[in-house]
Amino acid sequence: MKRILLCCNAGMSTSLLVQKMQKEAATRSLEVEIEAFALNEIMEQLENTSIVLLGPQISYAKAELEQACAPYNVPVAVIAMIDYGRMNASKILDDALALEEQA
Amino acid sequence: MNEELEAICFEIISQVGAAKSNYVLSIAKARAGDFEAARQMIAEGDKLFRDGHAVHMKLLTEEAAEETKIRVTTKESDLKGTDIITGVAENDSVQARTGAVPLLLLHAEDQMASAETTKLMALNFIDVYQELLSLKQERLTK
Repeated sequence: MKRILLCCNAGMSTSLLVQKMQKEAATRSLEVEIEAFALNEIMEQLENTSIVLLGPQISYAKAELEQACAPYNVPVAVIAMIDYGRMNASKILDDALALEEQA
Repeated sequence: MNEELEAICFEIISQVGAAKSNYVLSIAKARAGDFEAARQMIAEGDKLFRDGHAVHMKLLTEEAAEETKIRVTTKESDLKGTDIITGVAENDSVQARTGAVPLLLLHAEDQMASAETTKLMALNFIDVYQELLSLKQERLTK
C-alpha cells in the first residue's frame, strides 16, 4: 500500500488537507494511506513511505528532508502554493501519485 | 467553521507561509555570499506576504462592516425592547467570525506573525554575513 506523508510546521493545516485527500482517495477507491506530520516528527516516519509532500510554508526544509529521505529512496516534493491555498486535494493527490511513479 | 472561512485561512497560510520560506532561504543565500540573491528572495517573500496580507485585510474589513451593522441593529432592538444578545446571535456570519474564533484562523495569523519575525531576523542575518565577509576580505588583504 502506498503511503503519502504531508509535512508542515505544526501539522495543523496539513491535517485538514489530509482529510480532504483521504476523502478523494476513498471516492477513487485508491489503496493509499495519507498522514500529516510536523517537521520534527516526520524524520522517524520515513520508512515504508512512498512520497513526502511539503506545505509551501516549509519549503525551506526541502533540502534537509531530501537528505533524510535519500537512504529510503523517498521522493520529496513541495505542494504548489496555488493548490495548497485552494486545498485542491484532487490535484495534489494526482501530482503526488505521478511523482511517486517516476521515482 | 464555514467552508468559505476555511478557504480564506488556507489562502493566508499558503501565501504568508511561502513568504516565510523565502525569508529563511535568503539567509542561506547570504551565508553563501550571494547577497543579491538573498535580497531578491526577501523581495519575493514581501510580494507573497502582501498578497496574504490583502486577504487577511479583507476579512478584517468585512468583520468591521458586520460589527457596524450589529450596532445599528442593537439600537433599533433597544427601542423595541428586544434582547440584544439574541439580535447578535441571529447573525450567523458574525457569530462564526467573532463568537468563537476558529483555530485555523488563529493558525493563519500565527503564520503571518512568524513570517514577519522571520523577515526581521533574515534582514539582520544578511547584514551580519555581509559585514563578516568584508571583514574576512579585509584580513586577507592585510
